[in-house]
Amino acid sequence: MIVETRLLTKRYATGTALADCSLGVERGEVFGLLGPNGAGKTTLLRLLVGYLRPTAGWAKIAGLCCQRESLAVRRQVAYLPAEAAVFPQMRGAEALEFFAQIRGGGDGVERARKIAERLDLDVSRRVSFMSTGMKHKLALAATMSADVPIYILDEPTANLDPTVRGTVLALVKEARAAGKTVIFSSHILSEVEEVCERVVILRSGQLVHTQGLGELRQQHRIVAKLTAAMPRIPEALSGQLTVVANDEQEVVIETGGELPPLLSWLATLPLADMRIEALGLRTIYQRYHADKSIQTNGGPARADQRCASVPVAGPTLHVP
Amino acid sequence: MNTTLLKKSIGEARLLVGGLGVLLFVFCWLRVFIVSRLQTSQFATIVEQLWDQFKDLWPVSLEQLLSYTGRIAVGYNEPIVVFGVSIFAIARGSDVVSGELGRGTLEMLLAQPVSRLQVLYTQAAVTVAGIALLCVLTVAGTAAGIYTIKVKEDVPPPSIGIPGLGMRIPLSLAKPEKIKVPMSEKTKPGYFVPGAFNLFCLGFMVAGFSTLVSALDRYRWRTIGIVVGVYVVSIIVKLLGQAISEVAWLQYFSIFSAYEPQKFISIAMHEPANGWALMRRDEAGQIRELGPLGYNLILVLCGVVSYVLAGVVFRRRDLPAPL
Repeated sequence: MIVETRLLTKRYATGTALADCSLGVERGEVFGLLGPNGAGKTTLLRLLVGYLRPTAGWAKIAGLCCQRESLAVRRQVAYLPAEAAVFPQMRGAEALEFFAQIRGGGDGVERARKIAERLDLDVSRRVSFMSTGMKHKLALAATMSADVPIYILDEPTANLDPTVRGTVLALVKEARAAGKTVIFSSHILSEVEEVCERVVILRSGQLVHTQGLGELRQQHRIVAKLTAAMPRIPEALSGQLTVVANDEQEVVIETGGELPPLLSWLATLPLADMRIEALGLRTIYQRYHADKSIQTNGGPARADQRCASVPVAGPTLHVP
Repeated sequence: MNTTLLKKSIGEARLLVGGLGVLLFVFCWLRVFIVSRLQTSQFATIVEQLWDQFKDLWPVSLEQLLSYTGRIAVGYNEPIVVFGVSIFAIARGSDVVSGELGRGTLEMLLAQPVSRLQVLYTQAAVTVAGIALLCVLTVAGTAAGIYTIKVKEDVPPPSIGIPGLGMRIPLSLAKPEKIKVPMSEKTKPGYFVPGAFNLFCLGFMVAGFSTLVSALDRYRWRTIGIVVGVYVVSIIVKLLGQAISEVAWLQYFSIFSAYEPQKFISIAMHEPANGWALMRRDEAGQIRELGPLGYNLILVLCGVVSYVLAGVVFRRRDLPAPL
């Protein structure tokens, strides 16, 4: 594990920002952090780079304690804060030179200039006269040009137009191809799905789910309307099927394996209508973050209610 | 010391230090010029009449105050000089943590492999160097004035003394002749070095205190508000202590009680042996009071303690996300 946390906790007088967070990131992995505002993503990242002192637990990067050896940690890490601001008195080129020199110079300036070019950024302009998006691009160029084994990117595509977002995702993929580790925090599920190999979902400061994107791509959801009661699932298939909702009108089944073995069994069901959809990250995400709307309608949500409320995403196979 | 950080700090401070440097140099030169234009005899009588009421507010004798050196030395208590150095100290000191936090630039800075102490003390070094430069420029401005400006003086007509009566009778009824004498014959730039050093120590203390408040805070406007508040209260406390004998003890609670440039300039002029003494001694060698160095050490000590505490606080504190 190149990044590891154990029971990492940050409490303030006003509440708990992160509670008992234990996770590990493998070397060369692109690791996603998901969660709404206030879920604890930024707190986790700030604990990793030593901006915050943990109330309990610990975090290590490349075997170094993030709290006690923060300086050594930051030699291994390039961190892009969510609200990245660069020195307003400098010109863009001067800022890139500053960040390259502070990391020891070398060809860092050249790399930063090339990234700035790819991001379509005019580095001759003074930072104080740059728009929010331009400042963000500048910070991105400074961060991604660092020659380090780990990149920690907190909402790297915020404030950027779709074309530049694509460039940022390409930069992340290039980093992965070069064997670098990337921790990628974002609200945009499609981006996370595109670049990450594994994601964790945070809710109210707690890590509630870890999901491998490879597994997720194999998972499907079958939504069927039946004309009669659903028969028992054959023994051979019971291990790979989960019935998440089963009422008089609709049956929702999730599958974790290949589809072909199921199709012959599905054909035997008393079907009125059926859809087969890729499960998608949104489905997983909303299992944990759709609760609030359901709970406001009275009492805690049942598992079947949660699943029934999940909107589906991804390609759909519709069988009338 | 990280040279890249040093360059950044110098870049941030250069405009302010340049502007204030020009202002202080010109003001100190102008001070000498104004002193050269006003003859002591024109206002000595008025000052003598008011002296009894105001002598407690002046740290020097009337003779010293009316001398060329004494009148130029008043410049070190002029608001432009004191506030000029203080503004620089507060502006740079308050910027180091709460200023960078407020702008959001501290996040990007500390994402780099630099320690918090490097960030704090590199900026502190530039601030202290800036204060020193400003103080040197006050002496340079004064010296430039002393070497370029001439004083108009009345030369009384020749007279004859009458032995036994202690009287002098003029030999001519013509008006006194006006002559121009170089200011360098009346005073020396070296006399003002203790005043400038005292100003530096005050600036160092203010910069250290501003840095400490900045290290504790997250809003620069609040940092400046706190420092300026303490600064103003400290001035008021000193003035009250000086003006009202019943509350003279209040002076012990004002850091400005250690800022006495006129007094130290006077000591440098009249008691060279005590010019840089820790304790001021009389001719018999008995200790009379704290010497100029003692006062300056109090200011420097307050500054050093503030800077050390700022380092401890900044190293241990959480850095909140920018708002």
